[in-house]
Amino acid sequence: MKYILLMNAPKAGFETYRAWSQDDVQAHYAVLQRINKELSESGEFVSTAGLNWPDQAKVVRAGKDGAPLTDGVFPESKEFLAGYWIVDVETPERAYEIAARISGAPGPGGIALGMPIEVRRVMSGPPEELL
Amino acid sequence: MKYILMMHCPKTGYDTFGAWPKKDIQAHMAFMHSLNKALRDSGELVSAEGLDNPHQAKLVRAAKDGEPITDGVFPESKEFLAGYWIVEVASPQRAVEIAAKASAAPGPGGVPMNMPIEVRQVMSGPPDELQ
Repeated sequence: MKYILLMNAPKAGFETYRAWSQDDVQAHYAVLQRINKELSESGEFVSTAGLNWPDQAKVVRAGKDGAPLTDGVFPESKEFLAGYWIVDVETPERAYEIAARISGAPGPGGIALGMPIEVRRVMSGPPEELL
Repeated sequence: MKYILMMHCPKTGYDTFGAWPKKDIQAHMAFMHSLNKALRDSGELVSAEGLDNPHQAKLVRAAKDGEPITDGVFPESKEFLAGYWIVEVASPQRAVEIAAKASAAPGPGGVPMNMPIEVRQVMSGPPDELQ
């Protein structure tokens, strides 16, 4: 079963993140890279990516003529997707376990961030009852 | 450049989607399939996935001992990620153009939904200034 682990960060967090010391940033990435390596070795890794700063995000809608209407991103949003992992696991519990590892990645001063990770199943197609 | 196009859907939308007439759902899915096919043919499609119903979503945090603490997902959230595309494109404008196409997917009665699509650049690594 495939799951996506969504790392949502408070919008304010992106600014404070820029102010982390270089050591703290490196320690944070080192833990994430180790998790990625372990998932590759266990065959559970599908993909991961970090997203650009939310101030670069756009919201796009089709206008009446189909041409794009572009806006800055949902101004009322308090949280933004910072990055995600897709994993292929035997059980949902295993997906939660991996999410907890990511959640425990260190922040400033090496203290575990305990950030919330949203865990959603990735479907291979639309639900059968809709077809 | 890689971009992720995120289709956000109001939480209530998941429930009403199941109530669409079958032929509207099929027209919607056919539209998505033909969009994916066009992106595959142009070499721009990296991946596209739909996510499970948000009622199945979990929010996971690491406890002090690193064990997963699992909750139902943000009860206050009004919007959820329904699915996404990752595209590899020559310019941000092209990502916006593709988002507008996806935005215009047909809804009930074949009327374009013009739903908002969040467009974010996918990074291949942490930003330079954080290295």
